[in-house]
Amino acid sequence: MAAVDLPSEFDVVILGTGLVESVVAAACSRVGQRVLHLDRRSYYAGNWASFTFNGLQDWIRESQEQRPPEELQDWSSLVKEGEKLMYLPHSDSASISNIEIYCFARFRPITDSSGGDGTGLRLFKPIRVHQEEDHLLLPAETWVDPPLPVCQPINFSSSLGPFLRQLMFSRGSLVDLLIKSNVSRYAEFKNVSRVLTCRERRVQQVCPHMSLSRPTNWTVFLTSGHPYRGRPYLDFLSDQQLGENLQHFLLHSIAMVTENTPTEVGLAATRHFLRCLGRYGNTPFLFPVYGLGEIPQCFCRMSAVFGGVYCLRHSVHCLLLDKDNRCKAVIDSRGQRISCGHFVVEEGHLTLDIKKVSLVTVPPITAGAPAVKMVELCSSTMTCIPGTYLVHLTCQSVGSAYQDLSPVVTRMFKTPQSHDQDAGPSVLWCLYFNMVDGSGVQVQRQDLPSNVYMCSGPDGALGHEHAISQVICILPEEEFCPPAPNPEDIIYDGDSAYSTGEDEQGEELQEGEDLKKEEADNEKTKEVDGPNDREEQKQMVESCDQGEELQ
Amino acid sequence: MSMEDYDYLFKIVLIGNAGVGKTCLVRRFTQGLFPPGQGATIGVDFMIKTVEIRGEKVKLQIWDTAGQERFRSITQSYYRSANALILTYDITCEDSFRCLPEWLREIEQYANNQVVTILVGNKIDLAEKREVLRQKAEDFAESQSMLYLETSAKESDNVEKLFLDLACELIREAKQNKLDNTDSAPMPGEGKAISYLSCCSLN
Repeated sequence: MAAVDLPSEFDVVILGTGLVESVVAAACSRVGQRVLHLDRRSYYAGNWASFTFNGLQDWIRESQEQRPPEELQDWSSLVKEGEKLMYLPHSDSASISNIEIYCFARFRPITDSSGGDGTGLRLFKPIRVHQEEDHLLLPAETWVDPPLPVCQPINFSSSLGPFLRQLMFSRGSLVDLLIKSNVSRYAEFKNVSRVLTCRERRVQQVCPHMSLSRPTNWTVFLTSGHPYRGRPYLDFLSDQQLGENLQHFLLHSIAMVTENTPTEVGLAATRHFLRCLGRYGNTPFLFPVYGLGEIPQCFCRMSAVFGGVYCLRHSVHCLLLDKDNRCKAVIDSRGQRISCGHFVVEEGHLTLDIKKVSLVTVPPITAGAPAVKMVELCSSTMTCIPGTYLVHLTCQSVGSAYQDLSPVVTRMFKTPQSHDQDAGPSVLWCLYFNMVDGSGVQVQRQDLPSNVYMCSGPDGALGHEHAISQVICILPEEEFCPPAPNPEDIIYDGDSAYSTGEDEQGEELQEGEDLKKEEADNEKTKEVDGPNDREEQKQMVESCDQGEELQ
Repeated sequence: MSMEDYDYLFKIVLIGNAGVGKTCLVRRFTQGLFPPGQGATIGVDFMIKTVEIRGEKVKLQIWDTAGQERFRSITQSYYRSANALILTYDITCEDSFRCLPEWLREIEQYANNQVVTILVGNKIDLAEKREVLRQKAEDFAESQSMLYLETSAKESDNVEKLFLDLACELIREAKQNKLDNTDSAPMPGEGKAISYLSCCSLN
């Protein structure tokens, strides 16, 4: 763990480990590009991250801290003739604001048994937990079971990304990519077991639902929307002789759109919801165990497995541009010059060049509050301790997070502010914050050097299409995340007649082997491992079908 | 998924400083060879070996760090759902031993608290260059309630033993868990002791 200097030449330098950046890293490494992946933070996944309860405390502290502006250092000694410097600002924490914390449970600081400083707070006893009928969303069935002993959750694990970021549509570019690239082997998933809606102060189940499983009705329904083009989805729904309940379901819980959304958009969203239904269970959503923050990390691992160099707590101070306004190299936070062919950066590092439209400016749709999405996670998602639930509430903000969400919290749960002190599950601890919506970020391309790309953070929209489409924009010509080989199929130096089964994989592996051969130089120390051993081993080794488990 | 041909499947994860011989240990065990040179292992994610212990088939899935340890940037998800951790240092490199507390902090933070951890001092074939005394390492391992073993991936000393011992320990724990877990899911409101709290010894 000693400070080692980074290599000084890469094809791609990536700053930030959010989902988009991580997929870019995996895709580049996978096609043989030399990738350097940095993050100034001490953790992966940026604004997509999931934290343990203690980690969340640290994050809160950091987000509230006012960091002194960094001094602009003079890097002129590293600048070669004809190059110009472009500084990257460090105003990254601006994407989080309005943090407010409410604690309703008894906490007590604990001292580490290992003699630590006891800075962390741990919840030591839940006062009261949810009653059965209070569950909103309760993933019950395990989707991919951990192979054997079920491990205990370490602590609460909370993700930063908004509601829809917690879940993945079971058909969508992210899930497809996870399967295609074999990255899915690094994570475990659960199926969301219920989707519910809150109507007239009552919680009602949307799916699994009887009427959703009759496809004949749907075909007529989904194809009859044409005359309503451009008119609100609600108009279309109310003309379909549907019960009010079903209209409410369709609008708010299935299409998840607003009353003014045009019919074609609403129908497309409905179609997508229905398409995803039944792929892995009775609801269209998957949840990555431990939270969505796992997913960027999985792509980072894939990149590392294929040679990507990873360094946290490390940033880029400035870019070196050549005469054609292309980025030739970067200067890192230790003052090292690292040349690169392309530079990819998360939003927030290039604020000067970006027109930021934050989510906060979105006006309220109706006179009332914004529609709030809620996800309830039980302890088997490894996000909270048994007997408690972790609930995420998200909405497009009108005021501060507290103003928008606290009415819902007081209504659905029991806090000291609630009118009815007997109803609803108790809130133990509550955190409010606002986050900039990634989809609102528009890059003014002409301001950026042609080989510098910017990636947005989590957005509030449905699905992860936006994130994946960004990656494809960045890497238009490369083969996109071909499946990683199974460990059994890998050929090592010295084995020749070890068939891989698939030609394509064989070829790629051959490349890997060549690389290694070069490194090993002519030192042909072919290991003495008789063919018999190998044959036996092959028989012992079973095919690993982790990648297929998702399918 | 077809019926799997094993009784147990365990995920074993290797950690420790760069260059202490993690990859060599895995390859010695799974392939019976000692890779020449110090090339980074490109494209190798994890290795699998099935062993038989007292008539039970145990499939070991052994994960390597993919070089992310070099700048101390291992993803948290790497530790997830690991059944066992092999914390490796190089007996000829004092520095790799001094970093162990840092690794233990990572383990505590990210790995699940039932993980079996074993400390391994590798490269005992280079005995003349030894910098870390065996006694010192044993004491350290004991103080952290870890198992301890010294190995040589090159000479194949104790490598087989390392993984087989781990497998035995994991089977033992799995059987134990089965017994303990019969009533592990507390009903809401029962206020049952939560397992992770009991290990913090608050009283």
